[in-house]
Amino acid sequence: MGQTRRQFLKTTAVGAGAAASTISFPMVSRGQTKKLVVWWNRGYYKEEDESMLKIAEDFRKQKNVDLDISFTIQEDLRNKIISALTARRGPDVAFCFYNDWEIMPKYAWEGQLIETTDVINELKPRYIEKFLEVAYCYDNKAKKRAYYGVPIEAQTMHSHYWKDLVKEAGLPDDPAKIPMKWDEHWAFWKKAQDNLRKKDPTKYAKVYGIGMTESSSATDTIYNFEMTLLTFSGQIFSNEGKVVADEPKNREAIVKSLKFFGEIFTSGYVPPDTLSWSDGDNNANFHSKSIVMTPNPSVSIPAHHYFNAPDNYFNKSATIEWPDGPDGRKPTYMVAVKTVLFPKDSANKNPDLGKEFVKFVVDPKRFAEYIKGANGRWFPAFKDVAADPFFSRGQVGKGGEKDPHLPTVTKIYLERNTKVFEHWKNPANSQIYAENVWGKAMTRMDVDKWSAEKAADEAIGRVKAIVAQWR
Amino acid sequence: MAVGTLVARSTAAATGILSPRSRNLPGLLFSLPLLALFACFVVYPLFFVVTRIFDRYTYEVLFSDPVYVQTIVNTVVYVGVAVNVKLFLALLLSGVLDSEGKATRFLSAIFLLPWAIPVLPGILSVRWMMSSQWGILNLISEDLGLGTHHWLASRWTAIGAIILFHIWKYLPFWTVIFLSARRGIPRQLYEAASIDGAGPLQTFRYISLPMLGGIYLICTLLSMVFTIGDFTNVQLMTGGGPGDSTHVLATLAYRYTFRMGKIDWGMGVFATALPVTLLFIFVLIKKIR
Repeated sequence: MGQTRRQFLKTTAVGAGAAASTISFPMVSRGQTKKLVVWWNRGYYKEEDESMLKIAEDFRKQKNVDLDISFTIQEDLRNKIISALTARRGPDVAFCFYNDWEIMPKYAWEGQLIETTDVINELKPRYIEKFLEVAYCYDNKAKKRAYYGVPIEAQTMHSHYWKDLVKEAGLPDDPAKIPMKWDEHWAFWKKAQDNLRKKDPTKYAKVYGIGMTESSSATDTIYNFEMTLLTFSGQIFSNEGKVVADEPKNREAIVKSLKFFGEIFTSGYVPPDTLSWSDGDNNANFHSKSIVMTPNPSVSIPAHHYFNAPDNYFNKSATIEWPDGPDGRKPTYMVAVKTVLFPKDSANKNPDLGKEFVKFVVDPKRFAEYIKGANGRWFPAFKDVAADPFFSRGQVGKGGEKDPHLPTVTKIYLERNTKVFEHWKNPANSQIYAENVWGKAMTRMDVDKWSAEKAADEAIGRVKAIVAQWR
Repeated sequence: MAVGTLVARSTAAATGILSPRSRNLPGLLFSLPLLALFACFVVYPLFFVVTRIFDRYTYEVLFSDPVYVQTIVNTVVYVGVAVNVKLFLALLLSGVLDSEGKATRFLSAIFLLPWAIPVLPGILSVRWMMSSQWGILNLISEDLGLGTHHWLASRWTAIGAIILFHIWKYLPFWTVIFLSARRGIPRQLYEAASIDGAGPLQTFRYISLPMLGGIYLICTLLSMVFTIGDFTNVQLMTGGGPGDSTHVLATLAYRYTFRMGKIDWGMGVFATALPVTLLFIFVLIKKIR
């Protein structure tokens, strides 16, 4: 017999009520354990992720926490964090490789990030202190400057080259014999290209001496430009965060830098595709040996060889520093320091537990294991972890070969002048870099055939216009 | 007095709808899931967009950004050229494919291939062909003594590549649409024209074109609405580069929203295109009716 409409509605209501109450019961028992949501950048190597999963598991057990950790690749994670912050429903802990450049300055400015001065003060004795200012941002709501993130690892600029190609070109392949004065340095790579093409025009017709990224879609371009600008003693911002790019001394340095990029491109020593390279393309060109050398702001190239072709890592390639300036000064290195954030509007509103987790992660022994999983791609922001022999000695080959890469990188961090990128000074910097204003200026010269002066003036004008939006 | 009556009537009507005895209440209850979905996925997003697009500052920033102005030009060129060339070619090709014969059937199958190829491998192939360093285009150009060209590193050749890919990829789809429309034209009209001594051009001018005119306009409008919001082709082909010179509205909105965290600007980009899109949709609906 069929039900009446009223009976059906009654049954439905009772059923729905019962279902709702059943679902709510576990919530009560779950509510007794503290919950933590962590969004973590997926590592480049599985060892990094495995190490972080182990740390999370240990934290879960030790603190009796319901910890939900997920790994996402950097571009997707950036979009996810921005969407979450816009919707004001973020995770408790967010670590993305783009935090320091694109997320922290803006959202700290908007008052959406939890202050971390307490954590920084606690960890201060362990920090390589010059890395710290990356998180010292301005909160425009609270009208104060404070720490709004926890820096954990860094990357900087160095160059890699194929020793066997240099040897083939009849030039000295020992890293100690590569000329490191500005003009001689670049002339060396041009000569390598010329010699190779002369030696075997068919084989080396498409091999270029310098794998310099000049595209407006790659962040490598930003490192290349900033390093060159420092070489020519130029500044975009003053120490107080004001735009000083249009001051004669700085404009001249910008013009000189742009001329340098324009000259190596138009003279044919840089692959023409460099104008549309993304961050991975200089790596790909290096791996396929279509470039003799490339400046790169991470150790991703040797790290790839270490896992896939140890002979390339130990015997056929090497890492060297950025060349000295035309005035003979040692370079100052731009450093990007990757930082963990804590959104105010998080899923569980449990900032103390989030901070507890990050302190747990950066414990010297645990963090050393985690960061070594990346095979030296990142350099620790902590002195005690950086003191691990792994960073000064590097890997050891099966035949006892010395590491020709990591010790050079460590030397840069510990012995050279370094300067963190200046997004922390003014969130406008995030936009300047997101727009890749300097990459665009290079395109103006390389493609549109503008003069360096005209390209520099357009870029300076754009920088000023962007900064004017952040008052 | 009149107001009082109106209020009384509407109260009675409302009570009637919600009264347990009314047939409307169960109807409303059963519709609730759909209404909830509608509210979540249509009303809320619309509300979200509307609350964010009415900010004068957003438009001040957009109109002062040279990339935005360039993007508008790119979008107009992309939509105008790609859609019109594609549909004109589709109209001509549908005529070729409409003719009888084994060769035509074979050609039709071959011709449909680009439509079957997913966008990503298609674009990767084109990018590879256009690579300044290794691409076949430059290889031919060098062999002919014309030198090397930076196809994807120069604004107009890069936009040209996007347009060419769009035409190559979507031409088959629209050709099939026109082919079906052609098949709907009564054969007697062509027979009568043939008896009267009309040639192929006259047949096309006085029979095919007027009979296909309506569907041609609808297809143009539809394709314009699709293309105006195209993200995939441009993002995969050039990513908006070199130097942000090949952005279209969708890629620029993505850049503002996710590269700069400026969701308002991203919404603003689409809001400025909204009047045009709505106009297209309005004309389209009128035409269909």
